[in-house]
Amino acid sequence: MVFEPFEEESDFELLEENLGDPDPAVRRVAVMDLADTADPMAVPLIARAVSDESPEVRLQAAIALGEFDGLETATALCQAMQDGDNRVARAASDSLSELKDPEAAPPLLTLTSHEDPKVREGALLGLKQLRRPDALANGIEAMKDPVAAVRIQAVGVVGYLKAEEALPALISCCRDGDPDVRKTAVGALAFSKSSHARDALFAALEDENWAVREIAAEVLGRFPLGDNAQRLIGLLDDSYWQVRVKAVRSLGKLKVTAAIDRIGSQLDEVTSNLRKEAAAALGEIADPAALPYLEKLVDDPDPDVRKNVRWALGQIG
Amino acid sequence: MPLANTPTSVPVVVDEDKCIADKGCTVCVDVCPLDVLRISDLTGKAYMKYDECWYCMPCEADCPTNAVTVNIPYLLR
Repeated sequence: MVFEPFEEESDFELLEENLGDPDPAVRRVAVMDLADTADPMAVPLIARAVSDESPEVRLQAAIALGEFDGLETATALCQAMQDGDNRVARAASDSLSELKDPEAAPPLLTLTSHEDPKVREGALLGLKQLRRPDALANGIEAMKDPVAAVRIQAVGVVGYLKAEEALPALISCCRDGDPDVRKTAVGALAFSKSSHARDALFAALEDENWAVREIAAEVLGRFPLGDNAQRLIGLLDDSYWQVRVKAVRSLGKLKVTAAIDRIGSQLDEVTSNLRKEAAAALGEIADPAALPYLEKLVDDPDPDVRKNVRWALGQIG
Repeated sequence: MPLANTPTSVPVVVDEDKCIADKGCTVCVDVCPLDVLRISDLTGKAYMKYDECWYCMPCEADCPTNAVTVNIPYLLR
């Protein structure tokens, strides 16, 4: 079989003709073929299919637009996101998250205050990747949205912009009633090294939700060594091993020699993930005081733990 | 490769009521890395011509109408 590249204008004409076919399956296949061309000339034609009477064709158009970028694509996707058929709206939202061209932002910015929370969520999801500074105000406003899913995306938009002026709003979201919003906001604080962000992270270490404590422990490992070391050592008593894993990793990254004994005690844990990370952290700290702990685990039943122990012993020398 | 004589006993089964290959769709045929799917000249629908499958699943995942089902043998699940 000879591969024939799609380059004939007549092929577009045929597909355009098929888009007007009375059979929705033919129209759907035409949309798929247009997407396969990967030619930006296909966008206006696919955009037309977003208004097709058949929900299947509209769904295919929403999926197909995920292959393209730019203002025209974003405009069509914004229309699809308001479709009465949930599948179409969801597909449009997924495609919006693939946009990379900052020029696609204007129609999304107008939808962050749409009456339908799904539309607001999708618009913010699209804006996140575009990283446009003019989306900051919309993002901060949407952080007060009554719907948690919208607030999560708003935190994403603001967090991606890494703007210090958004810090008070992000810190405020770290106290949100919804744990997923708090988790996202805590993760978004990673860009800032200010004392306000650090204090918010310290507060997050006490959060009732373990996933929030887990992300706070991880983010604190990226801060310069200071008060965070003692707080992270305190977290090694957390009832969730997932939280302890992150605390151990952060203590390793920060090379906290004062934590060697506490990290060493994690090597007796049943969870092999924790033993593995503890061994890696002791290797990162690379202090001879860790030798007795590591030597005990040379014959650990988990090969990943043994591998990290050997690496750690090599680091200490 | 062995020819699939009884299409209902092969791993990849196509629901002909849902399949839109007769309208020009060739997604499952295009994505199959073993090239074992074909469009029937008789029915215009997709079918598994050769009884050989890696159970890699894109034919099922990419089918726009959910017409394709890959039956994974119990021991491979």
